[in-house]
Amino acid sequence: MALDAATFAYPGARTPALLDVSLAIEAGTVTGVTGAVGAGTSTLLLVAGGFAPRLTGGALSGRRDIATNRIGIVFATPWTQLTGLATTVRAEVAFGPASLGRPRGSVLAACGAALRDLGVEHLADRDPASLSGGELQRVVVASVLAMEPELLVLDDPAAELDPAGADALYALLPELARRGTAVLVATPDSERLARTAERVLVMEGGRVTRDGPPAAVLDDTDVARIARAAGCPAPYPLDVAALVARVVR
Amino acid sequence: MIGYVPGASALHRAHPYTPLAIATGLLLMAFAVSAPGAVWVVVAAAALFAASAGVLGTVLRPAAILALPTWVLLTILHGLLGGAPHVMLGPVAFSVPGGERALVFGGRLAAILLAFLTALATVSPARLVEAMTARGVPFGRVYLLVSTLTVVPRLRARVRQIVDAQQCRGLRLGGSPLARLRALGPLVVPLVLSALAEVDEQALALDVRGGTARGRRTALEPPEDSRADRAVRLAVLVAVVAAYAWKFLGAGG
Amino acid sequence: MSAAPGRGHAVRWEAVRFAYDGVEALRGVSLDVPAGTTLAILGPNGAGKTTLTRLLIGLLRPRAGRVSVGDWDVAAKRPDELAARVGYVFQHADQQLFERTVRRDVAFGPQRLGLGDGGVERALGELGLLGGAESHPYDLPAPARKLVALAGVLAMEPGVLVLDEPTAGLDRAGRDRVIAALRRRSVDGVTVVVVSHDLAFVAEVAERIVVLREGVVVADAPAGRLLGDAAALAPLGLEPPPAAAVGAALGLPGAPIRVEDCAAALGGVRWRGTGA
Repeated sequence: MALDAATFAYPGARTPALLDVSLAIEAGTVTGVTGAVGAGTSTLLLVAGGFAPRLTGGALSGRRDIATNRIGIVFATPWTQLTGLATTVRAEVAFGPASLGRPRGSVLAACGAALRDLGVEHLADRDPASLSGGELQRVVVASVLAMEPELLVLDDPAAELDPAGADALYALLPELARRGTAVLVATPDSERLARTAERVLVMEGGRVTRDGPPAAVLDDTDVARIARAAGCPAPYPLDVAALVARVVR
Repeated sequence: MIGYVPGASALHRAHPYTPLAIATGLLLMAFAVSAPGAVWVVVAAAALFAASAGVLGTVLRPAAILALPTWVLLTILHGLLGGAPHVMLGPVAFSVPGGERALVFGGRLAAILLAFLTALATVSPARLVEAMTARGVPFGRVYLLVSTLTVVPRLRARVRQIVDAQQCRGLRLGGSPLARLRALGPLVVPLVLSALAEVDEQALALDVRGGTARGRRTALEPPEDSRADRAVRLAVLVAVVAAYAWKFLGAGG
Repeated sequence: MSAAPGRGHAVRWEAVRFAYDGVEALRGVSLDVPAGTTLAILGPNGAGKTTLTRLLIGLLRPRAGRVSVGDWDVAAKRPDELAARVGYVFQHADQQLFERTVRRDVAFGPQRLGLGDGGVERALGELGLLGGAESHPYDLPAPARKLVALAGVLAMEPGVLVLDEPTAGLDRAGRDRVIAALRRRSVDGVTVVVVSHDLAFVAEVAERIVVLREGVVVADAPAGRLLGDAAALAPLGLEPPPAAAVGAALGLPGAPIRVEDCAAALGGVRWRGTGA
């Protein structure tokens, strides 16, 4: 996936939500996106995944190349991402591969693998409507993985999860990258980005203002805030081990 | 409750097209007959249909709530404005043929409501999707039909959330009719606006999952269409055709 | 008006049991929260946290036991009556907005309670919403709508404030504003109950922590003691928040759990120039 001088505005908006963004996302990598509310992180995901302007309307200028049509997207709110047509988790997860018309056995195999990846096999026979937000979000991610996407974009995918569930989800992303998927994940959670992403894009006012490894571009994890407030010179350590390594004893 | 009610009756286990065919058959029968007694026989048949699925108790209430205002209106209009002969009900002259017409129209309404609420309660949306998919019905049509059938249960949870939230902000439910009317705004507006705010995400999510893909979908567990199912649907067809033949030919001959 | 704005009430659950369709969500929970305390309820998804807090506002009724807010028995009150004492912010509160402007929506609750506009302006200011106060709520992104809903409850100036996952989906700036607003309520003497998965946030606001698991209380301790104790947290499936972890790793005095306390404890330390 590559963008060159991409600018995008939603229909009826006076100012573009994405401004002159150029970047390339490689297969087999996890790229993080972070920024304040309204900075354009969600819009970047929609444009990078090819969903805007195709489904949202609006106008895109600049160049965009997406080298795959197998693209998955996950939002923070699981209930908007259910088909509403399935009464079991298995049927929900199988919906995607089934819509590609793949043989029954292959659909069920993809479905089983995705349920295992997210650790929700035990929910396979439950009604999605009876699940908690956290369980549902894992089912939603499994539903998208069952499509075996080559480009996966996730918008704050752990907002509904408890810490253990969020850790498990973020630990899965590098594993997906190892299998060849290009992963693009937006979240305000810089702690988890610092641990998961090889590269982080920081956005402000629709532009990508910083782009590089987490240690070079992030400065607002709690540990970084502690270090800054305690007089540590930049670049600030992002996690506990890095901070301890910077202290002269 | 308007929507699917899980159960183990023969109708629940039947091919999803069968309860739909029976409901459609009852609707057509209600219009095939025109004597008040005959219409109410169809109503009784619809009630029997509901009872055989074990959902009579569940569908009676919404059917009554939906039918009552129309019944009252029909009775007043036809009873007061209908022709002679009249009977005196206290000071009011009530038209006998008008009353009969009200019975016919009211009965048709009752039969239709009972029949389709029963079909809604017995046909699992998921099985209907599978059945239609197995028959090669395009997904767009499947989605439109099934999402319409399931709209009430889907909105229920959200309505509950909004009612809870507004009560916690001091909104009092109940009270005088005017107070109830005033309370509607804080309940209905967020229902619509928050649903609209999510439509984009929903469309995207469905698109990603192949909802807009062309080509035939794989049916994973297509419901069995048994000989009994086909026999029942054939019987419904024969009965409806016979009733209309009687109505148009029998009456004329 | 029975609730004097800015004055907290004690909150008490006594041997409370609750079940959804026969599945027990709370199996005998007793907690006594003195007025003015900030309590955080932690636990994995499905532990019963939200159920416990919904009992406080009368949205759920216990199958057994008793819930009280100050001298009110919750069982005797409707949710809209309880709203005079208990402000409840739902996890997905962005779905409840309905007025044409942010300011009018925030003012809805205070108007129902017959309060003035002072609380409205204060809440809008605290959460950074004054700039967009005349916007339509649904023109704002979902995290901003969540802050609007929170402002709507803060503006009611309840004596007890209950928040379900208030930081989920918020950016750092929004999260900092919520922390500051809750600390101010605590200073005012308001009783605050937060349900959260965000341990770093909990460390910033909570005085006391209760951990629920499968409907029972498995830990109940002062925040400083529990969050600084990695050995006690591990069996609960939790890790110390970053400030506590830094404090423990460097053996900082006072075992800080908050960012500014940790930074203060680090004062005077010498830093290597680079991260190598």
